[in-house]
Amino acid sequence: MRLELEDIRYVYATGTPFEVEALRGVSLAVEPGEVLGIVGGTGSGKSTLVQHMNLLLTPASGRVLVDGVDARSLEKSGLRRRVGLVFQFPESALFAPTVEEDVAFAPRQLGLDEGEVQERVSESLRSLGAEDLAVRSPFALSGGEKRRAAIAGVLAMRPEVLILDEPTAGLDPATREELLALILGLRKSGISVVLVSHDLDEVAEVADRVCVLHEGMVRAAGTPAEVFYRDPAQAPATVRVASLVKVSKAEIGDPVRFEETLEALGALRGV
Amino acid sequence: MENPGEGTHRGGSLAVSCEKVSFSYPGSERPALSDVSFELRPGEYVGVVGPNGGGKSTLVRLLNGLLRADSGHIRVSGRDPATEPFKVRKHLGVLFQNPENGLVAPFVEDDVAFGLENLGVSREEMLGRVATAIQAVGLEGYERREPSTLSGGEKQRVALAGLLAVEPEVLVLDEPTSMLDATGRREVLEYLETLRAEKTVLHVTHHLEELAGADRILLLNGGDLIADQTPERFLSDADLLRENRLVLPVVPRLALKLGLSPAKLHTPEALAEAILARTESGTRAG
Repeated sequence: MRLELEDIRYVYATGTPFEVEALRGVSLAVEPGEVLGIVGGTGSGKSTLVQHMNLLLTPASGRVLVDGVDARSLEKSGLRRRVGLVFQFPESALFAPTVEEDVAFAPRQLGLDEGEVQERVSESLRSLGAEDLAVRSPFALSGGEKRRAAIAGVLAMRPEVLILDEPTAGLDPATREELLALILGLRKSGISVVLVSHDLDEVAEVADRVCVLHEGMVRAAGTPAEVFYRDPAQAPATVRVASLVKVSKAEIGDPVRFEETLEALGALRGV
Repeated sequence: MENPGEGTHRGGSLAVSCEKVSFSYPGSERPALSDVSFELRPGEYVGVVGPNGGGKSTLVRLLNGLLRADSGHIRVSGRDPATEPFKVRKHLGVLFQNPENGLVAPFVEDDVAFGLENLGVSREEMLGRVATAIQAVGLEGYERREPSTLSGGEKQRVALAGLLAVEPEVLVLDEPTSMLDATGRREVLEYLETLRAEKTVLHVTHHLEELAGADRILLLNGGDLIADQTPERFLSDADLLRENRLVLPVVPRLALKLGLSPAKLHTPEALAEAILARTESGTRAG
């Protein structure tokens, strides 16, 4: 699925003294099978923006296009199945006595037969390395396990686009790395992922393209190398190191990911 | 195991001493801490790291007397926290993870005074201490603000001021930045850094980079004290880090993989400089 946002504007508390223009004409596309990183500071409009992708919020003006078709003409429940949104701290919505029942909740609402529901539940848990959690209580899990259980619930709808809003917030660094590896695994299986994050280092590791939001507008968009080398002071740590070295050693190129950067810097050693 | 602190002296001039301390939660099969021994000398800044369930929070609760050890000896400024918890808390203050839980009063200044009110100091002295503490965390002008209107970083600084007003010699920081965003983290760390000169600090964290400047780092895993080492040695031990689910941030990790010192090179500028220095000298040598 190609998901396109066209000149989206959104205003909170319209017509009150607290009116805030959260999005001021944002256009971007989520290409099939890519990981799109959306970065920006607190209040830049990231969370507001992604809630437009499945029309949880309706724009004041502008259009959302699904494979070129205006999303408003599509049935909402179908759209939300195809574009799955995982909120910040999604584990707060876990409620069932076991993880598998929690994950089964949404697919059951689709009226699928029980065999199909079970198949989706195990597929979803498997793709997040969470099969072992199936019969456990969501309330007895660690932070990282809860997070995976909650994401599995959205994956069980078999979305074509999966939006993750700050999925690693509050996780310890090792758990965070594991979750990032799982995101790359999902992309391999053909799902497009929209990763909202304020952590440039993690976006650098997984994103195919990056969109920088600032005060409700797109400040920069492109490949991670294009975006981050344009302003290395506001870039992931890998780019900050590499750009400083590059001043006298131009041959290292524009590495972004950790392994890429390590290789480029390591190659200098023999010089 | 490397543990220079193991069972030498007891109490005395030490800020904190733990000698073969063990603790199990009721109904749990596995001890939360087993035979843990270490010491904090006055003025030291010591980090504590380790995976969830490793024993970090249990250690903090034992030190301020919220829990009582099953065996072993704990002394905080010479006192046993299990038998004299209120006296110990004058000497040892804990800054917890979530500032929301600790703030109770309508205004910032009342919150900062809250811990002092039970200590029987005169009103005059109390006002002086509150003002000093508010200044120490850079919140002058916030005295009459309502805590609920503050950012996460500011709330945590209010909580820190409340501890400082009690004037403890030892500060225990229990993941004080884990609920904060990057800006909040930076501001809290900045004020904690200024306290180093005058306090003994035990800093529990998931973020190894916060401990690059510590005197020592303790590693707790599965209730055991696995290591008690300088940051220099600790952060350079790739096996130790991997085996204990510890991940270095990007810059020191790059340094380590390039064979440079991760403890000294934790900013992009320092690492880039070290890489360039090495390639230059390589050029001359070749």
